[in-house]
Amino acid sequence: MTVKAASGQGFAAGTLNRSSPPLRDHALALLGRYGIYLFFVGFLLLAGLLAPSFFSRSNLSNLILQIVPLAIVACGQALVILVRGLDLSVSSVMATAAVAATSFSGHDADVLPIVLVALAIGVMTGLLNGFLVVRRNVSPFLATLATMIVLQGLRFGWTHGAPSGLMPPLLRVIGSGTWGFVPVNLLVLVAVAVPLATVLHKTTVGRRIMITGGNPLTGRLLGYRTDALTIGAYVVCSMLAAVAGLVLGGYAQIVDNWVGKGFELDSIVAAVLGGFALSGGRGTIGGALAGSAVLVLASNIVLLIGLPIQFQIILKGLVIVFAAACYAKR
Amino acid sequence: MSSTTISGKPAVRRPLTPATARFLMIGMLMAIIVAIGALVADRFLRPANLANVFEQATDLALVALGQSLTVLTGGIDLSVGSLISLLSVLTSGLIDGNGAMVLPVCAGVILLGVLVGTLNGCGVVLLKIHPLIVTLGMGAVLQGVALLYTRSPVGGIPDGFDSIAYGRIGGLSVGGIAVLLIFVAVAVLLRRTATGRAIYAVGDDRHAATLLGLKVRRVTILVYAASGLFSALTAIYLVARFGSGQPYTGADYTLSSVTPVVVGGIVLSGGRGNVLGTLLGAYLLALLNNLLNFLHVPTQIQLVAEGLIIMAAVAVHVEREKRA
Amino acid sequence: MLLVSGVSKSFPGVRALSDMQLEVREGEIHALVGENGAGKSTLTKIIAGVQPPDTGELRLDGKPVHWSGPAAAKAAGIHVIYQEFVLFPHLSVAENIFVGAMPRTRLGLLDHAAAERSAAALMARLGVSIDPRRPASELSVADQQMVEIAKALVERPKLLILDEPTAVIAGKEVEALFERLRRLRDEGVAIIYISHRLEEIFEICDRVTVVKDGQWVATTPVSEVTRDRLVSLMVGRDVAQLFPPRPAGLDAATAPVVLRAENVRVGHRVRGVSLELRGGLITGLAGMVGAGRSELAMALFGGLSMDGGSVTIGGATYTRMIPARAIALGMGFVTEDRKSEGLAMLQDVGANISAATLHDVTSGPFLDRARERTMAQADIAGYRIACRGPGNAVSTMSGGNQQKVLIARWAHTCSRVLILDEPTRGVDVGARTEIYRIMREIAARGVAILMISSELPEIVGMSDRLYVMREGVLTGLLERDGITEERVVDLATHARQAA
Repeated sequence: MTVKAASGQGFAAGTLNRSSPPLRDHALALLGRYGIYLFFVGFLLLAGLLAPSFFSRSNLSNLILQIVPLAIVACGQALVILVRGLDLSVSSVMATAAVAATSFSGHDADVLPIVLVALAIGVMTGLLNGFLVVRRNVSPFLATLATMIVLQGLRFGWTHGAPSGLMPPLLRVIGSGTWGFVPVNLLVLVAVAVPLATVLHKTTVGRRIMITGGNPLTGRLLGYRTDALTIGAYVVCSMLAAVAGLVLGGYAQIVDNWVGKGFELDSIVAAVLGGFALSGGRGTIGGALAGSAVLVLASNIVLLIGLPIQFQIILKGLVIVFAAACYAKR
Repeated sequence: MSSTTISGKPAVRRPLTPATARFLMIGMLMAIIVAIGALVADRFLRPANLANVFEQATDLALVALGQSLTVLTGGIDLSVGSLISLLSVLTSGLIDGNGAMVLPVCAGVILLGVLVGTLNGCGVVLLKIHPLIVTLGMGAVLQGVALLYTRSPVGGIPDGFDSIAYGRIGGLSVGGIAVLLIFVAVAVLLRRTATGRAIYAVGDDRHAATLLGLKVRRVTILVYAASGLFSALTAIYLVARFGSGQPYTGADYTLSSVTPVVVGGIVLSGGRGNVLGTLLGAYLLALLNNLLNFLHVPTQIQLVAEGLIIMAAVAVHVEREKRA
Repeated sequence: MLLVSGVSKSFPGVRALSDMQLEVREGEIHALVGENGAGKSTLTKIIAGVQPPDTGELRLDGKPVHWSGPAAAKAAGIHVIYQEFVLFPHLSVAENIFVGAMPRTRLGLLDHAAAERSAAALMARLGVSIDPRRPASELSVADQQMVEIAKALVERPKLLILDEPTAVIAGKEVEALFERLRRLRDEGVAIIYISHRLEEIFEICDRVTVVKDGQWVATTPVSEVTRDRLVSLMVGRDVAQLFPPRPAGLDAATAPVVLRAENVRVGHRVRGVSLELRGGLITGLAGMVGAGRSELAMALFGGLSMDGGSVTIGGATYTRMIPARAIALGMGFVTEDRKSEGLAMLQDVGANISAATLHDVTSGPFLDRARERTMAQADIAGYRIACRGPGNAVSTMSGGNQQKVLIARWAHTCSRVLILDEPTRGVDVGARTEIYRIMREIAARGVAILMISSELPEIVGMSDRLYVMREGVLTGLLERDGITEERVVDLATHARQAA
């Protein structure tokens, strides 16, 4: 028997690599990146259809007041998720910052020291989280769970279970005041989100975080200071949580030990809705903001159409799963 | 021949497996707590107090057992808290003091728990979403349903139902003994059945498990269903203990169920650890709380100790990894 | 027994198989040969049910089959030993061997003691002694391979596929493996044997199928074909055509030394290696998988810290190296695993190319996307990277084009040294010749290139000087005409066989 050789068509596959990737892949990638904005607009339209009163000034400014604290935390959470992490301690940082704020005399003169103390709490928590995750290689879930619990205990120890004292009037204005019909806390969000988005999307540091988050080994071999970038993400996240704690404390007026309860999970959900992958390296600050807005909108719609308030949380659960399913890799 | 001399140590049992090392560590921590307890209060070492600790670990151990299984596959179940809340209000609400309803309601509640767990598992497997997100979403839905059903403690239990929690056999609580037996049974099943080993295999390397033809999807769904089952049992136990169900009864278990799991040496990335470690972890935490009560430390500050225990457990684990 | 006909399979950017065919009979060892990227692995995965074919048909014992997944193929008696191991790192050796088929006690419970006894007996028959109770992650690469082989023997498959089973074992272990395979064949098992080592094919295979560029080329009894004929069928063109000619007038002896490593040690993987890289030359580094080549390259670049020794480059000597310093010193590193160590898979082409030279694309504190795009566009044209422009996500591109993106990135930094670890793994043949050409171009600028490759024709065809490494130490330096496949194999495995 002789060798059976194929007739000469051997170069077909060799030339195929010239062809560019299909347009469909490109389109899907775009949808993944901008899908949340479609979602956002859809929710706005839905809300407007269900209740014409939705677009009233008072409802809108009320909505924004509610969105802002979550959006601030979600920005920080997004940063941590970007580097393959998670921060469960944000709610604890929020409450601790708010409790700290009431531990002063309650006059406006104390606002600066309050802010400094809050930020210091944030920095310390973030450093501890970052240290555990980066240097001790602890899983982010556990590390931040542990700091959350420790911080909770310290807070209770400090307040003996019942915080007393007042938020300075200025913080209350920041948290709940409106200027015309523009909520004052929106200014805080802008002051936080714009620089953050600029750094993340327009500078080399942001690019390094993006690359390190998606592929830590790649980042390391590119000579990036991946440890510092990761710890930095945790620190910024905790600082933002502290700021959000002050804003939310000012909004709620009454500060208890549970200011920000539920924000740890809500902020994760907002970031994931906004297009951040828990596997890191993907997402935009704009997406995190839109994700936060969608989450609050969902609750608002429930009220608008007169369903019992319990449906808010049911709808929230469904939105989480549905949106995540939309992003899942095929 | 060289390869055999490089790798081929004579077949001797290695001195300490990771599991034994972890058990020893927990044992030492317990011994320290007991020693301190014995020093500060002579009541601490009395059998009645130790039986108390044994009983207090019951609910946490039971939820954590289900959590252990999901974590062993590399997943997590954050719906346990809401599921416990929902099932506890359903249990007491539907029984409502009527002894004849006990069996059908309990059966229904267990079935519902398994069903919810199965849904979680299907979400993870079919939607290909991170388990954290799936179970978080499920948790929100369940909490909402629980609040729709009732916004305050509801229903009641017939006489004798509370013996699940307060009944004693030889001075030890019935529930506690049952949980101990359940743990041993699950540990044996995990070690000595093909499905049990598949749970470890899936957590160890999901891709390899797929290539080797293991039923990865079935195993994944199974562990979430089991988590639902153990949440249901916890709900029934809690109703027996408190006399009625409350819509926020379970909230704290969502995250705290993870503590005994990791303290007991099961690694969050999956594939390593032993459920008996989880049981020991639950006992350790109960013992610690008991000691702090004796020391008159306010309940809330006891949290700090819990947080520190988590950090310690995890740090020790990392150390071992580095040596390996 | 197994009949594959008309099978095609495409991935984003590449056609992996087109109209592939394969016929394997009961009781034969059937060799499957072809170059890297010829489609052998894809074909294996389709037979094993890991991936469905786009078109075409599989028949097992005459009946058409459609696998729903690997489990279905396994149930039908198909067992694969993959090139990358499929082991559970934290399960014991015994459990890995008996995965899914553990012996049971009378109560129906798994019998770990019995499994450990059988595993030990099996290991003894394979001529190795591995404690069956150890977790798989603690074994050496060679021992892990023996566990994989033991696993296949336990399964009693009808069809056994081995993908490069001898890449990490040698000598006695290979003999033991071959003896086992012959016995299985005599028992009627069909075996598909994939290997780059043609002499092995002549030793144990009955028939051979050659594939090239994703297509079937020939099937013939081994006894009716010569080694040279096989090679020409595989390559399909003159070897001289595949590799660009060595530039004339290049003298390996007088080229300047750009980097000198002295006695570098990394754990037990690299045990005192000294070498020189010379400007303008391609220096090869050959050896078996697990010989410590990648670890050495990592250490030179600072990706792993050296436990001893030094690196001299640019007139200074360093005992500690970190990637940032390596880059500043003019080094570049195209890593072996481009998906986890090289590319930023979620970023676009522009971001990947500029990743090591971000300071070149900033204006003030901000990234200058326009400048980044210009830079990427120049590279896309220069290296003929097939994509939709700088904004194309690299994850949608073919392996060859991804590799070119990586080379383009490092070409911007490597004024002195460029290290390439398996530069053509998973790259189709057309792109391979272009990568070879690019390597020559970069070398011509006076850059010293260090190339690691497991593919003999490639490393022999490209290297101007060639180091061979085995078990953490260098076993030889070959130059120019001294570089032959036989010498390389000899140096990479010889001492093990002799010991």
